[in-house]
Amino acid sequence: MKTRIKELRKERKLSQEELALAVGTTRQTITSIEVGKYTASLVLAYKIAHYFGLTIEEVFDFSDENEF
Amino acid sequence: MEKFRTKVKQRIAISSGMALVTVVLGAFSIYSINISDISTATHSDGFVAGFQFGLIISIFGFSVFDIIKLSLAINDETKLKILYNKEHDERLKTIRSKAGMPIIAITSVLMIIAAIIAGYFNIVVFYTLVIAVAAQLSVSAMVKLYCMKTM
Repeated sequence: MKTRIKELRKERKLSQEELALAVGTTRQTITSIEVGKYTASLVLAYKIAHYFGLTIEEVFDFSDENEF
Repeated sequence: MEKFRTKVKQRIAISSGMALVTVVLGAFSIYSINISDISTATHSDGFVAGFQFGLIISIFGFSVFDIIKLSLAINDETKLKILYNKEHDERLKTIRSKAGMPIIAITSVLMIIAAIIAGYFNIVVFYTLVIAVAAQLSVSAMVKLYCMKTM
C-alpha cells in the first residue's frame, strides 16, 4: 500500500523515531509502512492520520487494494 | 503509563529473584561437582551436570541483563515509552505470533525441565529432548527473522 507518511514527515521535519513515539509504535514499523512492506491496522492508520491532522484517505492510498 | 511502570517494577523484582535463585543453584551445582566421585562418573554424567550449570549461568546472565535494561528504562520516560511501544507494537505482535510465541517458549521450558529430570534416569531421553528444544527454537528464530525481513 502506498502512503504519504514519508512526505508528511519531511514537511514537518520529523524523524521516524519521533513519529513512532508519538503514535505508539516502533521505528521499524514506520519504516515498513513507508516502504509498503506492512499494512497498518485501522487503529494505527487512524493514529498516524490524526497526528498529521488529516483523514486516513489523505495519508493512505487504497487504490491498489481494490484489485482482485 | 503508570500501570506499565508498576508492571516493569514487578518484572525487576521477578528478575532479581531469579538471579538470586540461580546464584544459590549455581553454588549448589559447583558443590555437587566437587563432592562427586570422579572415578565412577561417566561422560554422560558430566554432560548433564555441565548442561545444568550452563543453563543456570545463562538464566543468571539473562536476569542481570533484564534488571539493567528495565532499571534504565524505569528512570527515563522516553526509554519507558519506547519499551512500552516495542511490547505493544502490532507488527511485532504479528511476527511473534507467526513465530509461534509464546507457545514455543512455554513448551521449550517444559521440555528442558523434563530433559533435566530424564537425565538422571536415561541419557538418550535427555539428548532427544534437548535436540528437540534446539530444533523448535531454531525454526521459530528462522521464521521470526524471515518475517522481520518481509514485513
